[in-house]
Amino acid sequence: MTEKACVTLDGRLVDVYPGDTLLDVAQRQGVDIPALCHDPRLEPAGACRLCLVEVEGQRRMVPSCATPATPGMVVRSKSEKVNKHRQTLLGLYLTDHPSDRTQCERHSPCELHALADVYHAPTHWQHVEPLRTGRDTDDNRFLTFSADKCILCAKCTRYCEEIEAASAITLAYRGPETTIATVDHHQLRDTDCELCGGCVDICPTGAMAAVLPTRMDAPPRSQLEKVRTTCNYCGVGCQLDLHVDKKANHGRGKVVQITAPPPGSTTNDGNLCVKGRFAYQFIDHPERLTTPLVRRTDGLLHPATWEEALTTAAKRLMEVRDKHGADALGFVSSSRCTVEENYLVQKLSRAVFFTNNVHQCAAT
Amino acid sequence: MTNSIGEIRNADFLFVIGSNTTEAHPVIAMEMKRAMRRGATLVVADPRKIWLADHATRHLQLKPGTDVWLLNAMANVIVTEGLCDESFINGQTEGFDRVLETVLAYTPEEAENVTGISAEDIRWTARLYATTPKAGIYYTLGITEHSHGTDNVYALSNLVLMTGHLGKPSAGMNPLRGQNNVQGANDAGATPVFYPGYQRADDPQTRARYEQSWGVPLPSTQGLNLNEMMKKIGSKIKGLFVMGEDIVLSEPNVAELEERMKNLEVVIVQEIFPNETFRYADVVFPAACFAEKEGVFTNSERRVQRVRKAVSPPGEARADWEILVALARLCGADWSYNSAGDIYAEMAQDTEKFRGISHIRLDEEGGLQWPCPTSDHPGTTFLHRDGVLRGKGKFVAVDYRPSAEHADNDFPLVLSTGRTLYHYNAATQTRRAEELAEKQPEAFIEIHPDDATVRNITTGDWVRVFTRRGSVECIATVSHQVQLGSIWMPFHFAEARANLLTTDVGDPVTGTAEYKVCAANVVLVALGKGSAPFPGAHFIHRG
Ligand code: SF4
Ligand code: SF4
Ligand code: FES
Repeated sequence: MTEKACVTLDGRLVDVYPGDTLLDVAQRQGVDIPALCHDPRLEPAGACRLCLVEVEGQRRMVPSCATPATPGMVVRSKSEKVNKHRQTLLGLYLTDHPSDRTQCERHSPCELHALADVYHAPTHWQHVEPLRTGRDTDDNRFLTFSADKCILCAKCTRYCEEIEAASAITLAYRGPETTIATVDHHQLRDTDCELCGGCVDICPTGAMAAVLPTRMDAPPRSQLEKVRTTCNYCGVGCQLDLHVDKKANHGRGKVVQITAPPPGSTTNDGNLCVKGRFAYQFIDHPERLTTPLVRRTDGLLHPATWEEALTTAAKRLMEVRDKHGADALGFVSSSRCTVEENYLVQKLSRAVFFTNNVHQCAAT
Repeated sequence: MTNSIGEIRNADFLFVIGSNTTEAHPVIAMEMKRAMRRGATLVVADPRKIWLADHATRHLQLKPGTDVWLLNAMANVIVTEGLCDESFINGQTEGFDRVLETVLAYTPEEAENVTGISAEDIRWTARLYATTPKAGIYYTLGITEHSHGTDNVYALSNLVLMTGHLGKPSAGMNPLRGQNNVQGANDAGATPVFYPGYQRADDPQTRARYEQSWGVPLPSTQGLNLNEMMKKIGSKIKGLFVMGEDIVLSEPNVAELEERMKNLEVVIVQEIFPNETFRYADVVFPAACFAEKEGVFTNSERRVQRVRKAVSPPGEARADWEILVALARLCGADWSYNSAGDIYAEMAQDTEKFRGISHIRLDEEGGLQWPCPTSDHPGTTFLHRDGVLRGKGKFVAVDYRPSAEHADNDFPLVLSTGRTLYHYNAATQTRRAEELAEKQPEAFIEIHPDDATVRNITTGDWVRVFTRRGSVECIATVSHQVQLGSIWMPFHFAEARANLLTTDVGDPVTGTAEYKVCAANVVLVALGKGSAPFPGAHFIHRG
């Protein structure tokens, strides 16, 4: 038996695997290390400096997200020095971050505020106005960027480049003016942006945000209910989290935002496309059908009761069958509907009406 | 798909043919781009310069409808250069000899003349495909929506079989399903030839088992597929039940279909929005949308996943399954399902592939990929692991057959139809999202600059597109995305219905209509009348 590779983490011997970073090792052990610029889908950037840990034999602390775990390392993630660093850094981040949490966190939770709570970061330091500029003149209706909330972790720009390969947004300017801009400062819709919205989901502070919830005047995220479901557009079958305002529409409920489940948890790995993420207003559209319709003697479709509609449909279908035989009927099912519904249509066709004339519109 | 979406990022060679992945399956395109970042080679074969072609190592811009030539020529290179996987061919397949014979005539040089792709590119692609162990093929409707769609699929699967790229992770043959639940609808038996789980409807034993399970006699006559059904509307077909589809918008050669629709004695429609088919409906049932009901969808990788009710349906609308149960009961059936979960349980119990799947398990474990025969089976991430599923992998030799129509003097252009990133099918949902509607508000046609110049057309002009079947008006977008002699049009727009133009000639086996090739022409109607269309930044930067 070969001996397993190990490192010492906070005094315990733990396994490491090839390719592990120190953060990977800690996360596997359930050891919390705050990490604002890390995402399992992205290459490590070491940008936020929050994940620093002590490694024996190294004078300075190292970013655990970007440091390979080499067997034999002795790592401290809970020391006084590490803790002090976290508090100071979080305190600094807060100095130019909106202090009104109800506003900051209205439509998406803010990881910075959450971590500041956990590590008791100082909140009383002098507030400074950020010099970062936003994109006030951009008139796209999907995404906004609030420069004041941005912590320059560059997750959004890295996502856009590494995952979506669109490179529509980028870090711009230098020093305290560094900000996130569109490539060549174009309007977002004139860039290669595919409107995947990945930059929104990956942003830890809600600086990169979806416009729709605000336009819908949605209540804060904390008052919404989350429902996991499957996208109804293409065959990738991305998993979606629908954020539902249960009280809206007189208690019918309203889907006010859609986000991707965390990376690594479902097939779509935290990713969505423009349709899955943004094309949900149809659910509440005023043109939705709300009552059965029956064509009357005047040749027009009129609202009817369920009873009338169902008995008319049943009667007319059976009449055609009795007059021309079952094979004079055709049943068109739908690849937009559920498996159960498709099952019922073919059973209706075969078992109730006695014909194999059943198919679905799969061509498009 | 024989493989899973999660395997794409680990592929070393991706051959994407007839799939505008970035626009039709964006999240799969992301996985392909991630593979590229790892160093994978991506080859895109498509008549249009699609978005993914920008990322591709090479783009093979073949002439529309010449896929069989390209694929057979690749096979030719593989067999003549000795790149076949002999042991796989000998052990796991049958019929190779006929294919060998056939493809010998498809030399790369000859293929260059027909497809427009250089012999060098064909050789390079074939060699890399054959010699890279983790090589996967991905295709969509650009392969199947032809009068020779089945041939295209056979030609592809011949390549897979002769190189043994099957039963391994990140290799295999992967059709990407266009709609969310195409896979699930087929799985559930919504097809004339199969009962649920691909049990043949013409097999007396299957029928007997279902007669017993369902407690009623079942029909032995052969059913009509959609294409046949549509052609017999008004003649043999006198009554139609349509759930969740706008057949009048989505069927090809629709003008003629509408004439015959008038002869139907009854049309019942179940929908969430008013649509074109309503004009013929006698009864319309208001249905719930995906966010308002329970059930499952099955994605392209055979993964069964839950659909959950987040909000209530508007007004009196009901879930489709509830409507179906009520209707069946009035027609004399004794259906007594209380939930979508009950229905799934009934289907699973009679189908080995799904027997281990239930709503309860899905709620606990997330998605499950069939085959999943028992309640402790983990599901199947890639097929054919233990040898080809149907015993032996079958080679089928196919010869090139030209598309049903080709360009001629009266109709000198070739029209293809397709989808865009921002809309979906009849756009009944996406056009009701203001943001998306704003991005692409109106119907447009893409035309090559040279074809546009001789017709005095510039971007934003209002043009008339016509074929032997009809004509529509829309805005022109002059673009290098299409090749000389080709035009392309999205089928999302009800006011400029691409399907007034398309031919209803179907593939002889599947009945799938040839949406991808028909002869057409374009004339200028009015200068700059339309707002400039916005097919995306891609178009603006690269022309
Ligand atoms: S929406 Fe997607 S493509 Fe657009 S900027 Fe954000 S990450 Fe990039
Ligand atoms: S989010 Fe986009 S890629 Fe994912 S299933 Fe929906 S339509 Fe397809
Ligand atoms: S998470 Fe390591 S530096 Fe940001």
